[in-house]
Amino acid sequence: MSARQMKLGLFLWATGHHIAAWRHPDAHVTAGIDIDHYIALARTAEAGKFDMVFCEDAAGLREANVNIASQTSRSIGFEPISLLSALAARTERIGLVSTASTSYNEPYGLARTFASLDNLSGGRAGWNLVTSASPIEAANFGATGLRPHADRYARAREFATVITGLWNRRAAGHDGESFSVRDPLDIPPSPQGAPVMVQAGASDDGKDLAARTADVVFSAAQTFEEAKAFYDDLKARLAAYGRQPDDVKIMPGVAPIVAATKAEAQAKYDALQELIPDDVGVALLSSYLSISDLGRYQIDGPLPELPESEGMKSRQALVIEQARRDGLSIRELARYFAGARGHWRVVGTAAQIADELQARFEGGAADGFNVMPSWFPGELDAFATMVVPELQRRGLFRKDYEGRTLREHLGLKRSV
Amino acid sequence: MHLAVSLDIASVTGRAGLTLAEIAGFVRKVEAAAVDMVAISDSWPSGKPSTSPFEATTLIAALATVTEKIGLVASASTLMHQPYNLARRFASLDIISHGRVGWNATMRQNPREAVNFSRPEGFSDADFRRRAQEYIGIVQGLWRGWDADALLFDKAGGRFHDPGKMHMLDHKGEFFSVRGPLNIARSPQDTPVLVMSGLVEAEFDFAARFADVILLGDGSPANVKAACDDLKPRAIAAGREPKALRVLATILPGPQLTADRLDDWFETEPCDGLNFTLPADLSALDDFADRILPNLRRRDLARPARTGATLRGNLGLGTGGER
Repeated sequence: MSARQMKLGLFLWATGHHIAAWRHPDAHVTAGIDIDHYIALARTAEAGKFDMVFCEDAAGLREANVNIASQTSRSIGFEPISLLSALAARTERIGLVSTASTSYNEPYGLARTFASLDNLSGGRAGWNLVTSASPIEAANFGATGLRPHADRYARAREFATVITGLWNRRAAGHDGESFSVRDPLDIPPSPQGAPVMVQAGASDDGKDLAARTADVVFSAAQTFEEAKAFYDDLKARLAAYGRQPDDVKIMPGVAPIVAATKAEAQAKYDALQELIPDDVGVALLSSYLSISDLGRYQIDGPLPELPESEGMKSRQALVIEQARRDGLSIRELARYFAGARGHWRVVGTAAQIADELQARFEGGAADGFNVMPSWFPGELDAFATMVVPELQRRGLFRKDYEGRTLREHLGLKRSV
Repeated sequence: MHLAVSLDIASVTGRAGLTLAEIAGFVRKVEAAAVDMVAISDSWPSGKPSTSPFEATTLIAALATVTEKIGLVASASTLMHQPYNLARRFASLDIISHGRVGWNATMRQNPREAVNFSRPEGFSDADFRRRAQEYIGIVQGLWRGWDADALLFDKAGGRFHDPGKMHMLDHKGEFFSVRGPLNIARSPQDTPVLVMSGLVEAEFDFAARFADVILLGDGSPANVKAACDDLKPRAIAAGREPKALRVLATILPGPQLTADRLDDWFETEPCDGLNFTLPADLSALDDFADRILPNLRRRDLARPARTGATLRGNLGLGTGGER
């Protein structure tokens, strides 16, 4: 018997992860600002025994070009701590993980907020630490612009030290480079002690910070080899911080499209791809590559040589490698990328998708997966009713919750 | 008469805070009695540490999904949040609650805040006031960044929103620089309601110009009338309709609050309504719910029907509109 079971997160995103999801004929077009939509999604995931729902975040517009932005649904949506606090009152068991920035918050404030979410939910809160790489966000928080990568991570390291000290009731009093905090946290200890710490940065700085502080790491990997390399790299870094390999759960993103037959699943995917306007796909790709405008290059030509950016270093490398490997034109890469935003796309039957997930899980490339349905609710419903039962039949995923808290779902020690 | 309940969940040290179920149960009772809004605060202005398990904005998010009509106001400090984040939090809460949310912006500096938020030197009162005023202006400006009809949802045409109806803030001030816009749509009630409390006279002009609701400190009906008569003309002088600002008197409902004393308030109507402040104490909540609420509910039969489902509707504020 195999005691080890995979972890599943549901990555929430308004109408869905596909850039054109909102244009899908059955997509609920107002989803991003509809609380009932999110309550229904969270309950579907809870019925499917998912470990957690997860919200990504940006404190600002995601696209500087207003005309491009207006062709996507991504300029509008709930602030995730508000959303998850609301979901806490309408769900029972599922974990609630919100992103929040170390660049635009103070540790005492976030410590209070997440402790409150942990208390509201009976111990189901998690915090995804980001340093915020977007200059659009930076402009909402002062006139100095985006800080360099290394500075953001220095602040993030100090932030993580202070916030975990507050949650774990270590001696108060911190006077550091970026932060000063005098008092202990003025919210009583929450059920988990410290909410679950999540990270997704895949740069060297990001991986080191994750190895030191994270309980869960989200990653993006197209191939088994990339996923395995990331997994081994991160787990190998843990020993330096006195941690065991099992102390961190690595959960790559997966964007599944499931149907009764492979052909039917492929047809669903193709139909979505057709809904992506070229300029939107190219702009999205430009933004993830952190370069100002790919639109000035031939859309049917290859990706040009690109300088290393201050924004998302690791993600840039991933996308460029993809293009070179498959000999893709800008248009092809843009479409491919827009569909799953650089994450792993699997298209097929429930059994085929379960095979793929099982291979990465048992091959030592993942402890679980962060599921990114292409559009809501359709692809979530399909995954929850087709793939989850298949994983359960194979003994790879729980049939019911055993614990109450997110830490218990994930098999993590209570923080000390 | 408009009715509000202020609940301070920062219970005293040594006593367990109220649970979510206890708070939600109380708020639903108050809602059933047609109270316009409940205002939640989570820290002691005196600087004593709170032992509440909840922070106010996250608590009202949870309450929004288990109530239907009552307004939900949270106190939030201008030192504990960046203005962009706070504007976005309340704009989100306002859509989650279908237009029932307000922000209680206190002008008092809590001594525990600066020292825990990397500002050990703190602010002088004058600096704090100028900073808070700039902050409130930014928040209200961000709340108006998207026109009410900006979202098109045009699947076939591929147009999600009209970029001409989204407006940058481009604020550059003494304390803050914020480009905007928020990444959330316009509020169902135009903007969240701005509540101000703990005011001193130096802040009256500002509050009369920008606040939707002012909560006065406790005092006799005569004192309250004097304060209200001072504030209303300032609002009119700032070009506002008198009904655009609601001034509520604060009452401490202990055993000393008898039916006769309540009668005085209802008969003299010294201002727009009453705000009952309650501690995080189950017996105090029960006393209020069992003794005072039935009295209020009886009087409510004589009140005009609510004009709308939003907090602005409850308060008869109309929409916020462009300034």
